[in-house]
This record gives sequence, C-alpha cells and structure tokens, in this order.
Amino acid sequence: MTLLAGQILNGIATGMLYALMGLGLALIAGILNIPNFAHGALFAVGAYLTVSAIGATGNFWLALVVAPLGVALLGLAIEYAGIRRLYAAGHDYQLLFTFGLSLILAETIILIWGPVGISQLPPPVLRGGVDLGFTFYPKYRLFVMAAAGLLVVGTWLFLEKTRYGAIMRAGIENKEMVSLLGIDIHRLFTVAFALGAWLAGVAGALTAPIRGLSPGMGVDMLGIAFVVVALGGMGNVLGAIAAGLLIGVAQAVVAAYWTEASVAVIYLVMAAVLVVRPQGLFGIR
Amino acid sequence: MRNLAVLAMVVALPFFVRPALAAEIWIFAIFALGCNLLLGYTGLLSFGQSTFFGAAAYVAGWMLKHWGVNLFVALAAGTGVGAVSALAVGYLCVQRSGIYFIMLTFALNQLFYFVAYQWTSVTGGEDGMPGIPRPAMLGIDFSDPVAYYALVSLLFLASLAVMKRIVDAPLGRILQAIRENETRAEAVGYDVARFKLLAFVIAGAFSGAAGVLYATLFGIVPLEAIGFVFSGNVVFATLIGGSGSLYGPVIGSVVFIWLSESVSTVWARWPLLLGVAFVVVVLYFRGGVVEAWSRFLSWRSSRRAASPRPSAR
Amino acid sequence: MALLETRGLTKAFGALTAVDGVGLAIEAGSLHSVIGPNGAGKTTLFNLLTGTYAPDSGSIVLDGRDITGAPAHRVAHLGLARSFQRTNVFPAFSLLDNVWVAAFATGRSRRGLMWRPRGRYPQVEDRARAALADVGLADKAEQAARAISHGEQRQLELAIALAAAPRVLLLDEPAAGLSPEETRRMVELVRALKRRYTIVLIEHKIDIIMSVSDRVSVMNFGRLIAEGSPEEIRANPEVRRAYLGGMAA
Repeated sequence: MTLLAGQILNGIATGMLYALMGLGLALIAGILNIPNFAHGALFAVGAYLTVSAIGATGNFWLALVVAPLGVALLGLAIEYAGIRRLYAAGHDYQLLFTFGLSLILAETIILIWGPVGISQLPPPVLRGGVDLGFTFYPKYRLFVMAAAGLLVVGTWLFLEKTRYGAIMRAGIENKEMVSLLGIDIHRLFTVAFALGAWLAGVAGALTAPIRGLSPGMGVDMLGIAFVVVALGGMGNVLGAIAAGLLIGVAQAVVAAYWTEASVAVIYLVMAAVLVVRPQGLFGIR
Repeated sequence: MRNLAVLAMVVALPFFVRPALAAEIWIFAIFALGCNLLLGYTGLLSFGQSTFFGAAAYVAGWMLKHWGVNLFVALAAGTGVGAVSALAVGYLCVQRSGIYFIMLTFALNQLFYFVAYQWTSVTGGEDGMPGIPRPAMLGIDFSDPVAYYALVSLLFLASLAVMKRIVDAPLGRILQAIRENETRAEAVGYDVARFKLLAFVIAGAFSGAAGVLYATLFGIVPLEAIGFVFSGNVVFATLIGGSGSLYGPVIGSVVFIWLSESVSTVWARWPLLLGVAFVVVVLYFRGGVVEAWSRFLSWRSSRRAASPRPSAR
Repeated sequence: MALLETRGLTKAFGALTAVDGVGLAIEAGSLHSVIGPNGAGKTTLFNLLTGTYAPDSGSIVLDGRDITGAPAHRVAHLGLARSFQRTNVFPAFSLLDNVWVAAFATGRSRRGLMWRPRGRYPQVEDRARAALADVGLADKAEQAARAISHGEQRQLELAIALAAAPRVLLLDEPAAGLSPEETRRMVELVRALKRRYTIVLIEHKIDIIMSVSDRVSVMNFGRLIAEGSPEEIRANPEVRRAYLGGMAA
C-alpha cells in the first residue's frame, strides 16, 4: 500500500503540472480561439531554458523565475509576429502556423542542446527525501506539489477575483461584448497568450528535475494538455484543474501496476469519458 | 482534360525521379485525397489522419509478414482497418466542432501513437516493424521497383476515380453544404453528424489503403507513420495544393513529397525547414501563392460547380 | 382541424422564459401570422417548432401526430420547412445547387448517394428548378448565391424552404432588410404561395400582416396576448400597448 500511496502523491505532483498546462492552453484556446499546437514546445523550451539558466548561474531559484519569463517573452514575440495576423485566418492556417512553430522550436532545441536526453538534479536543499510516516518521499516532488499548487490557485484567484481576470473570463464567453465595452481586445489576446506561455514555461521549469528532458517532451505534453482541456471543458478553469489532477493520479496509479500503459491510459480515460459525456466532465452542453 | 494531365504525370514521373520516390508521391496523394474529403469538402480539419494510415500499415504489415497473405488481401484489410478506426475516432470527434474537434483528433492520434510505441512485441515500438515483404502476384515480381510503381500508380488512378465518383455524387454536395452552412444543412433535413462520420470513414479508408502501400514500399512501418508529424504533413500538402478541389491534394503531394525527400536526405534537421515552410506559407503566401493557386485550380474545376473553399474566414 | 398545433409550449433559458405556455392552432391552407415586439419570443417559437431547441414542456402536433422533440434534421422530413430571419443560404453554391441540396434531402430516395452523378436525378432537379421558378429566380440558377443582391437572397431563402415540398412553411421575417419595392414583390410572392401551402409568418411590417394574414397571434414576453383576425388585432388595445413605440409602419 505504501507503493500506492507514493504513486498517488506522484500523481498529484504531475497532476498539478498537467493542470498548469491545461490552464494555459484553455486560456489561449478560449480567449484567442486558436488551436495552439506550439503549447507543448513552449513547455519544452521552459525546461531547457531552466537547465541552461542553472548551468549559467548555478542558482535553481533564479532559473525558476527567469526561464518562464523567457518563455513568456517568446510567447509575446510569437503573438506579435505571427498569431496576431491569423485571428481571421481560419483554424487550418492557425494550426499549421503553431504546428510549424512547434517543429522549429523542437529542432532548435536539438541544435542547441543536442538530441540526447538531459537530466537535471534538483537544487541541493531539495534533494533527498522526507519521512512521511507511510513512505519516504522525495523532497523535490513535494516542492513541485506545493509550488505548482500555489500557481494553480494563484491563477484561479487572478481569473476569479481580479478585474482583469474577469475581463479575461468575459473574453472567453463573448469577445464581441468585451470589445464593445471598450476594452482593448488585442491587448487582451496578447496578455492571454503570454500568460498561457508563461504557465507552460513554469510547468517546464518545474518538471526538469522530475523527468529529465528530451526534445520530444513537448509533443507528449501537448497531447496531455489537450486531454486536460477536453476533460475539463473548454474555458472552465476549475475543470482544467480537476481534470489535470485526475489524469495525473490515474496515470501514476496505473504506472504502479502496468508501466507501459501509463501514458495510453490518459487518452483512454479521455475517450471513455467523452463517450459518456461529450462535453467533458465539467463542460456545459 | 485534367484526367489526361494526371495520367500523363503518372506515366512521366518515373522518368524524372526514381520509381520509389514516384511511388511514394502517389501513395501520399491517396492519403491526401482522403484528407481533403474532410478538410476541403466537409470543412473538418482532422489533425490525426495518421491514426488510420499507421494502424492499417501495422495490421497489413503484420499480415504480410506473419501470415503471408497476398497484396490485395493486405490492401483490403488495410482499407478496412482504416475505415473502422476512423469510425471509432470519428464517432467521438464529430460531436464537437471548431478547435475542440481539432484537438480531439490530435489527442486520439496520440493514443494510437502511444499504444504503437509501447506494444513493441507487435509494432516494434521505436524501431518500427521491419521486414515487410512484397509478395509476387499473378506472376509479377513486385520487388522490381518499376513493377511496384506500376501497381501503385494504377491504384492511385483507381482511388482518384473513386473519389471523383464520390464527390460528383450527391454526397459531395451534401458535405460541401455542411461546410458552407451547417445549420441550414441540418434544417433542410440532413443528419449532419452522420454525414460527418461518413466522410470520416471514407477518408479513413483512403488513409488505410495508402498506409498499406507505404508499408510495402519501404518494407517497414516506422513509428512516425502513426505520429503527429505525418498528420500535419498531409494537411500541409492538401492545403498547398488547394483544398476544395479534387486535384489540389494531388499537386500538393507531388510538391511536398518531392521537396521533403530531397531535403531530408541532405539535413537531419529537415523538420526545422518544414516548420519554417509552414510558417512562411501561412504568413506570407496565404493570400498569394496558395490562394492564387487554389483560385487557378478552382477556375479549372468551376464548370463542375465544385465550389472553391473560401480561404479567409 | 388544425394542421399544426402547439399546446402549452414553454422554453426557458436560465432565468429568461422565452416562450411561455404558447398554444397555437394553425388551420390547413391558412396563413397565420405571429407578431410582437422585439424579444417577444417569436423566433424562439420557430426554433421550437423546427427542433432546433427542445421545449421544456408542452407539445407540438402536426396533422394529429405528436412531433415534440423531433431533432432539427428530422423536421424537414415531417413536412415543416423554414426560412430564416438572417439569410442562411450556401454562399459558394449556385442558386440551383442551393435548392438542389434541399430538394435531394427530402426526396423519395437517396439511392446513389455516393456514386450516382448529380446530373442523373431528374426528379430532384425538376423540384429544384420549380422552387426557383416559384420565387422568380429561375433565370439566375447558375449564379453563385453570394453574388446576388440581398433582395434576391431573401427570395433564395424562401426557395430553399419550398424545395423541400413541405406541408407547412415557417417564414421568419421574409421581408427583413428589403426595400419598399422588394417588399411589395415579396408580399406578392407570399400571397401566391398561400393557396398551395399552410404558412406561419413572423413579420414586423404591419401592412404585410394586414394584407396577407387569415389569422394573427400576438406575443409579448413569451406569452400569447391576443389572437384573431387582422382587423380584430388592429383594434385591440392590449396589442397597441404592447407595441407602444415599437410598431413599424
């Protein structure tokens, strides 16, 4: 049973990361109404930038702040140089653009950091484990749970309790109304994309010491982000959080008994839920 | 007239490029024909067509390798696998629309990808499924590249004829009506979800056939054949050729495969150029070369009232 | 006997009850108008009749058969065809294709759906051309729908509904956005259709209502507030109150 308990904790940690990814994607998809196929690549860039930042400064905490900001800046650049011109273009072109971007980013990662996987140790203070009574658990994962959890809650608070957050939520519901109310809809789009990119970057930064890095990590995470959004209901913040945790835990539990199926099970759960409830667990019909 | 042009291309191509590359072009064209029924005609952007392509390739490859079936049995099986897997995926996806639909097709593609990745005993995982034979039939030895090319091009021409039949029939118009105005299509009496599913299954069948031919062309089913890059490639080829017309995907396949094969042998980081090409085409040529090309194509097919797909929406 | 009846039809969207216990009886062969201020629930009523929304309660009966809850794509087959308030055609298609697609949908059989060339459906084509001729667009059959004028698009809108050879026509503001001359022609068109179809008409322009209707029902805030002949309705003080400041001459 300690194995199971440990796995559940693992699942919560990764689930929080999945929730961050799902949140970012849901914001972009909901507000900008574009399919962001570069979202996974932004996650990967966040991870790799973190590793380089740690290498350059020796300071994990600094890297944790700087790398996601770098990804947010990248997001701003992408929105400014490309996405901005495609809002009226139709989903197929938006898809091709973001898909092309994901290829460029993934290949650039290989060019800079090489095709082989990299591993990254947690900062010294977070190495080793903690005795939780029923199991001895890695400190770093507890940190991820806490940090990601705080960010998730923080994002939720931002969206639910602040004025600009309300504007963003309104933008998901009804863009025309928001612009009719005199709010600069283009600024909203830019902020939303940068925020989504930042969330992906943070998830990437936190993930580096848990799973190691590889150039393909972006694609895997992209699929998971989609599943979170599909299960959580588009534009539903709490739904994305709950869905992320759900599949994180489901994956971790399955991994304890049947490792090979642990990734596929995420998609199977999604497929099963959608058969019964096409709008996702929390979506409205 | 157009048909003659295609026939001429099919006959002439192996004189310009090696037969294996020419075969790959027509195989991809079959794949793109299916993709276009969804994308150009029905207005459904499926970003997971490699699901059906790859699944068919693996099943047919297995049958050819372990059960020694002949090519036509393999082809029939692959087409069937493509259609059935499309039925399952389509059933889940057609209930949603817009971005949601696109994301679902991708996510389900990932499901199949990961199953293929993990099920190494059957698919070979990352290494793919090698050793797929090209059994001789009717006394013809298909290991000869030219003989195989002849077979592939015949099958391509047959696929083109079938697709032409379908889009010239009422179904072609109905799918376009769904693309043009889904609400009205439903109001005049079409069960839109069922028709979308039908389009999905037909596209899946075409993808499956292409998958089988791909497997026997290269003698191996690589994991990429069921991956998302493949799914993106066929969308790209369909779009640069001009979606919404029957022959656009054919042109797009010629251009895309020729270019990608040429560059990929030169640089391992070829996907970087591919990504740049996607970005550049979308940003700068969407209203230029692409639209001009598709307008040219649709002018050619305007007699048949095959309406061009509005490019900017 | 009424060809089309609704009983206690109700539909609410959250706190807003758009249609509240509406009971209508449409006599076969008549032209029955539904009027009311903006937001009265008229289009929602149509959406309920055509299966776009399912009612929360109440029933819809067509020729004695309960068709409540029939989905939108079945309704055309049951004999109800609708034209939309905002032009809702297939823009890239020719006019002929617009009506052809509608005629094929409710045709006798769909044999050859995937393999018979479209040119080989003489009955469908006849019905389609007849629908175009009915609205006076026969000579423009080959033009693209997005290339014709707004007035002609409203005619096409009507033709698509006619192509289904329905028993009941639901016309939602067919004269919306038309010039006075175009409106006059639309009224003639509707009058010509009166003898052949049972028509339910939503309109804002009072003179149209008065000149073509056999019967008029008035809605306000989702409820039926009056019903009678056009003259009775014109004289009804409640109706005047409901329309205060909102009547289009």
